[in-house]
Amino acid sequence: MLSMNKTIYVALFYFFSCAATSQTIKIGVVDYPPHINFNEDLNKSPLIKYMNDVLIQSNLSFEYIKLPRVRASVELAEGRVDILMPVPVIKSTIMTLPSPIFHTVPGLCFKKENFIPILSATHRLNGLMIGFPANSSLVLALTESTANLIPLLGENAVNRGIELTQRGRFDAFYHPSPVQVYHRNTPKYKEVACSYFHGYSTPIYVAVANIKIYNLLNSAYQKALSKQSYEYFFANSGS
Amino acid sequence: MKLLINDITKMYMSSMVYIFLNQPLINQKGGDKSDLFGDRFIQNIKQTYLAKYNEEFPQENHLAKSELIHAMVEVMNDNQALIYDDEIGFKGIIPATFAFQLSAKLATKGVGLKIKFTRTAGSIRNKLNKPDEWENSVMLKIIQSPKIYYDENAQLNGKPAIRQFTPLPMATYCLACHGSPIHNPLNIDREKSDWTNIDITGFEMENWTMADFGGGVSISIEKSILQ
Repeated sequence: MLSMNKTIYVALFYFFSCAATSQTIKIGVVDYPPHINFNEDLNKSPLIKYMNDVLIQSNLSFEYIKLPRVRASVELAEGRVDILMPVPVIKSTIMTLPSPIFHTVPGLCFKKENFIPILSATHRLNGLMIGFPANSSLVLALTESTANLIPLLGENAVNRGIELTQRGRFDAFYHPSPVQVYHRNTPKYKEVACSYFHGYSTPIYVAVANIKIYNLLNSAYQKALSKQSYEYFFANSGS
Repeated sequence: MKLLINDITKMYMSSMVYIFLNQPLINQKGGDKSDLFGDRFIQNIKQTYLAKYNEEFPQENHLAKSELIHAMVEVMNDNQALIYDDEIGFKGIIPATFAFQLSAKLATKGVGLKIKFTRTAGSIRNKLNKPDEWENSVMLKIIQSPKIYYDENAQLNGKPAIRQFTPLPMATYCLACHGSPIHNPLNIDREKSDWTNIDITGFEMENWTMADFGGGVSISIEKSILQ
């Protein structure tokens, strides 16, 4: 039995539309602030707002299902959700819509008093104690520095790493997507400041369970992207 | 084609000038910083363009131009948390880093437009910003004979492209980071014996002078998107 919160968003007017399909698409979402934020009304999350437009264009009724990150891809693989987003890594077993929905840039989070704004100044990293989640791939700029890189194991490595940085146990912590902790709506904003390894971006996708869902969704998705990309929508959303 | 690449060069350079002129606003603690975001940011770049070139900002009549404008807004939004962080003084959002972020952002869009603010290979601070073979060869020519270099039969990502390299004359503000310790704002009010040759961004200053080559803006557009 899954321990998950379930939130249903149905485009009501489709109940009255002859174009509506009888199928309700189940969209698994994982907490990915500031794009999807489980700490507030899901309807306020920018990625949900954007995808609502896409789905309405597709004549689909749909519901969102909040998923814990560790279970999310299993739920997709076993067909309990039709769509999963956002998906940070392309696995050969996961089908995604062809264009990324957004990109993340990795970076380092510091206690504010130790902040290094420009990470291409890699010599400034020399000798620093820098923690990183053991399962993440580090950027060359970091591995080629003489920083002391300390892996943290476990599912909660990112949160623990940030806490250890706050407590001064690390000089910095490598985050695959620092925007998740360093944005204006999170309590961590008061504690740490993060800078980015610009030029090392990772595409983030919307994954689909099968070709049928892909075909249902992709044309509206491409249309929406050509009208306004999610990244531009997000930049103008005030998030 | 040449008109498009010229427009893009000037739009890009205007945004860098705006970022330079607004260092006090970017780095100040508190206050209204909404001029740096969204449509207001673009309006301000348009004003900067008008003042710099004495002509109206180009029409957004090509995908490459709209993608560049969108990328400008997105880059500033990416920096929003930092810009509003009152506990951080120097934010590191200077013309060179803004230009690089813009280039990196455009690279993710896959629209066949590549923009780079670069300089000769041996003098590049950011390894990811190294010039390619075409840029290197063009810069060697430009150092001998400064002029805008346009190539209608070049390649980008193995595809036919137009490319242009516009040299930038060294400006006084470049020397604050790339000049000598006497130009370093960190040395103001310090005894000469206490001067540092590390600039505000954390790099060692290069001792360049106004007579040195200032690098330039390299723009490449795949011909397939010119249609």
